[in-house]
This record gives sequence, structure tokens and C-alpha cells, in this order.
Amino acid sequence: MDSLGGSGMSAYANGDPKTTVMRQIQQEAAVQNARMLVEKLNEHCFERCVPKPGSSLSKGEETCFTACMEKYMTAWNVVSRQYVSRIQKEAQSGQPNAMF
Amino acid sequence: MDLGPSTAQQLDLSKLTDRDKAELQQFVVNESQKSRIQQSIHSLTDICFRKCITSKISSGKLDRYEEPCMQNCVDRFMDANYVVLKELEKMRS
Repeated sequence: MDSLGGSGMSAYANGDPKTTVMRQIQQEAAVQNARMLVEKLNEHCFERCVPKPGSSLSKGEETCFTACMEKYMTAWNVVSRQYVSRIQKEAQSGQPNAMF
Repeated sequence: MDLGPSTAQQLDLSKLTDRDKAELQQFVVNESQKSRIQQSIHSLTDICFRKCITSKISSGKLDRYEEPCMQNCVDRFMDANYVVLKELEKMRS
């Protein structure tokens, strides 16, 4: 999970238009990706860690959340590696690649 | 992080040469593909996390059952996807 936002917005004003457009597109993609991850993280971990919402988050629930977040991100990376190597293999072997 | 229209309006796109435009077009194609792949990864992680991480969450690491389960889940999902496509292809002809 690289670059969940990044900085470097300041270099915009005087860069050439091509680079600026490219950077904006990348920035937009990174934000979109981060937003998706946060949404999924919350969805899963809330379901798993807070089965019965009380009047406040308990210490245990918070600990569960921390572990769950780490687990989800690790899982994301495992999936990423597996998926990318699979589509690469399929592209090489010329298999009709569904690219789900 | 707001990339509002103000930033875009300041850009003078008329200054782009044809080569710049071609380069940008290629860039957009690449980025779209990257974004589609990332979207698939999100969706697969969602599906497989639900299937593989079923015991109580006590550690941030994936244990020795969970990690292979996630890997198998990705591969089997794609196999299944392929079966569906093949079947549809058969129905078409």
C-alpha cells in the first residue's frame, strides 16, 4: 500500500501543463484508492469488532480494531501479489484473460 | 485533498504539443488500467477476507491458515470466473 495521499501539491503552479495533469490524475487515483480501502476496512472491522455497539468503544473493541486493520491491510497485500502475478502469467501464456 | 476546478482552470492546455497529447493519452490508458486492477484487488480482498478470516481477530498478522486461504481464494475465484466466461461462450454459439 504505497502513497496514501502524498504531498508535492506546491510544485503545481510552475510545472508544465503535461506534468501537472499527470500528477493530478495520479493524486486523484491515490485518493480514490485510499478512500476505498478505508471504507472496506471500516465495514469489515466494525462488523467483526463491534457486534453489539455499546455507549462507547470499549478498550477491547479498540484493540480488536487495531489488529483487524493490520490484518485487512496484510490481506490486501497478499491478494495484490497473488492477483497481479496471476494476470501476468495469463498475459504471458496468451490465455484468454478475463481480467476480472 | 481538494483538486477542485480552480487548479484545472489555471492550466493552459492549448500549450500542449501533439507529442504531449499523445503521451498524456497513453498515460491515461495506463492509469485507467492500474485503477481497474486496484478495484479488482479491493473487491477480491473483500470477498476473500469474509471467507478466510473467520476466527476471532486477536493479531494483526495473518496466521498459517489464513494466508494460504487468501491466496487460494484469489486463484479459485479467477478459475470460477473463467468457467463462467467459457460457459457463456458456449451458449452463444
